[in-house]
Amino acid sequence: MASTALTVTPFTGGAAELRDRARTSAVLLVFAHGDCPTSALALRALSTAEGAGPELVVVAEDSPQDAARLVLRAGLRAPVLAEEPPYAASSELGIEAVPTAVLLEPGGAERERLVGWDRAGYERLLGVPLASHGAERKPGCGSRASEPPQAGGLDEPEDMFERGFTDGLPVVPPTPERVDAMLGGRDPDRSLGTVAPAHGEATLRRVAACAVLAGCRPDYFPVVLAAVEAVLEPGFNAHGIGVTTQPAGVVAIVNGPARERLALNSGMGALGPGSRPNLTIGRALRLVLTLTGGAQPGRLDRSTLGSPLKLGLCLAEAEERSPWEPLHVERGMAAGQSAVTVLAADAPLSVSDHRSRSPEELADVLAQAAAATWSPYWWPMDDETLIVVCPEHADTFAGHGWSKQQVREAIFDAACRPAGALRRGETTEHVRAAADDQLVHKWTDPGRIILMVAGGDAGRYSAVFGPCDGMGTAAITREIAWTT
Amino acid sequence: MDYVSPFDDRARTPHRLAGRPAAIEGRRVALLDITKARGDEFLDRLELLLQGRGARTFRIAKEAFSRPASVEVIEQIAIHGDLAVEGLAD
Repeated sequence: MASTALTVTPFTGGAAELRDRARTSAVLLVFAHGDCPTSALALRALSTAEGAGPELVVVAEDSPQDAARLVLRAGLRAPVLAEEPPYAASSELGIEAVPTAVLLEPGGAERERLVGWDRAGYERLLGVPLASHGAERKPGCGSRASEPPQAGGLDEPEDMFERGFTDGLPVVPPTPERVDAMLGGRDPDRSLGTVAPAHGEATLRRVAACAVLAGCRPDYFPVVLAAVEAVLEPGFNAHGIGVTTQPAGVVAIVNGPARERLALNSGMGALGPGSRPNLTIGRALRLVLTLTGGAQPGRLDRSTLGSPLKLGLCLAEAEERSPWEPLHVERGMAAGQSAVTVLAADAPLSVSDHRSRSPEELADVLAQAAAATWSPYWWPMDDETLIVVCPEHADTFAGHGWSKQQVREAIFDAACRPAGALRRGETTEHVRAAADDQLVHKWTDPGRIILMVAGGDAGRYSAVFGPCDGMGTAAITREIAWTT
Repeated sequence: MDYVSPFDDRARTPHRLAGRPAAIEGRRVALLDITKARGDEFLDRLELLLQGRGARTFRIAKEAFSRPASVEVIEQIAIHGDLAVEGLAD
């Protein structure tokens, strides 16, 4: 009965061609399709059939690709005919529902048919027992010969994985309707440029597909677009970030009115889960880099360990809790503008300090934490470090009248050691060439330290995002354009 | 089922690797230094070995290891070299 090989053959023939398969021996035709859970149930049960009996042939009312998925998922090894529209054979045989089993006796005449799932009935047709896979009987679904295929099939989540439309987590299927809604009237063919390392072209259509996959709402799309534009700037070096053995992730920081407009979380748990816009915007940006750009882990992305940050991170600055000017204003935007700043970074290192009461002490604690990033003896670093200062730490600095620049310089000054103490393991040419007592800073310049404020009001935990050192990458800020 | 693909599905013609030469004597070998730490040490050693087998070598470097080689660097290799060896990192 069941064949040992899975073959999928496109089929446009009619009932006569099917009857011809039973010219010399009995054939059991099983009509099914991939959007029907009863079909899946039947095929799973049929995969357990053993022994002699009529040859089993699946007639899947699906494309060859979808037909293969349907049968492979069921674990069934049998010839599959992928019946294409207008489903001539199904129409001629009067198949109104799937699964329908049609037993053809030798010569091609129909002996019996079963509509829907009926385990005892299939056992009778096959002459062998079948394992129980749930229901003994179950009504089927409409045949595609009478109901055209609809988007939104029941196995869509699995389809997405099989198509590679994923970062490893389930996604929202990018149907044309959802992508159109995401585009919001924008020209789908407009290109933002090519995305390294595979140089896939970031058309708005593809970026919108990534935003849908990530779970974005259409009103988040302007932020996604601005972030993609930013990572495509040559100064960001998406190529290096995409292929490096470092665990390089990408952080997107939102400033300005966009935060309130989209309800981005800048407060409690600002770096963590729980907020849809934060999580999905960061994820959409990452999907553009991995799917459109080809920086897929284990392929062109050669990261040794990777990092949870590679799933994406979007955070918002708690401008109202900050004593300082917002990050985007520091970087040349007006306070009333919405902007996104992207930078490449290692995963965040939490820094607890509930004891420091002077700004000097607190700056020193943050500096010593940052001193260990990238590599403990690699001084100076020439790429940017992001320090997310929690509100209580910001209050300590502000309570003593410290400006952001003073904080930056104090951290820079505190991360300073004699070269002789740094000549271990991975260190720099600069350290190797220096005299033992020559002081070396952790950064080449205080400007390499990026400061912003976020987090809950209670708890003295700030975070340091170490740099992707040596990548020659720089933070890039772009305005968020709300209009098309 | 109809979905919008996030991939750039345009067909691309893959570049085929040139065949491995039977001998290197007299061949021009470009030694590409990607400018990562100690790559030059590797290439120094390799250069001696290649020259010992009769190859003519020349050195060329990428502008930055974290970025693709510029068109100019690739052109120089293509113009002056029959073979190329890339010295990777660390």
